[in-house]
Amino acid sequence: MATLTFTRHLDRYLDCPPRSFEAATVAEALERAFDENQRLASYILDDQRHLRKNIAIFVDGHMIRDRRHLSDALAPDSSIYVLQALSGG
Amino acid sequence: MLSDEQLLRYSRQIMLPEVEIEGQEAWLNARVLIVGLGGLGSPVAMYLAAAGVGSLVLVDDDDVDLSNLQRQIVHHSGRIGRPKVESARETLAALNPDIAIQTLCERLSPQRLEELVETVDLVVDCCDNFATRFAINRACFRHGRPLVSGAAIRLEGQVAVYDPRQPDSPCYQCLYREGEEEGLTCSESGVLSPLVGIIGSVQAMEALKVLANIGRPLVGRLQLLDAHSMDWRTLKLKKDPQCSVCSQVG
Ligand SMILES: [Zn+2]
Repeated sequence: MATLTFTRHLDRYLDCPPRSFEAATVAEALERAFDENQRLASYILDDQRHLRKNIAIFVDGHMIRDRRHLSDALAPDSSIYVLQALSGG
Repeated sequence: MLSDEQLLRYSRQIMLPEVEIEGQEAWLNARVLIVGLGGLGSPVAMYLAAAGVGSLVLVDDDDVDLSNLQRQIVHHSGRIGRPKVESARETLAALNPDIAIQTLCERLSPQRLEELVETVDLVVDCCDNFATRFAINRACFRHGRPLVSGAAIRLEGQVAVYDPRQPDSPCYQCLYREGEEEGLTCSESGVLSPLVGIIGSVQAMEALKVLANIGRPLVGRLQLLDAHSMDWRTLKLKKDPQCSVCSQVG
């Protein structure tokens, strides 16, 4: 099962601790998470269901290629990490 | 040619085989732009000044406020109400009178930023807003100047190096896209003071490495710190072939 982890702030703000899902792509894993937490969807995706501009997703430590459709493939034990841009200096 | 005083002042880094006289001369001859003299800019400016980066350009349009002093360690209580760049200049000049410091107390227009970036060897982004972050990234890639980018808030930090001189280097805009709403600031969300010290110190280290061509800088890698657990995570960045900024280069 692929594991989906959000940065600590997103977890605290949106109540999304690490979860494991059966999923073949990043989009599928996120959909499973959104099924359980609707607030999460609007924070991660825009109204066209594309990744928001201030969010980045990494699979097994590598940045995903497809920000529009999130079609990047997952291995059975992949680790997905979701983070947001920080502006504080 | 280093003076006897310089040889003594910088002796503990010159003795490193990675540095030697050649590295120190690279730093003394370098001109670095630091955008933002707040939490990140404080340690960046202090370490680069102390290490002998010969010319620093400091940009910030803000004045020192009491609420800054918990983390912005280049300033102190006697400087409240004064421009941050002037406060920083005084601290840095006392730290190392050997270096030249130029100060600009203004919010740079994109055009002004472009002009300034062209005059430096490296840029350190320590600013507090996304519009400036994207503008700095564009200017650096247009003029082929390496960018050391850091951000920190609450107990989370991010740091990376983007180097347009390397054809496969991604840029800040490969990671995040421009146009999303503004992020939270430290004044809204809070920040634990050593966090900016840690991230700013990593930025200073990376700047020195890039300037003297030492080791393996954080090009193509994003370093994340979760200070809550003190976990560091290294994520691999990719150049976006569609990127409107860096796909024009290389
Ligand atoms: Zn790019």
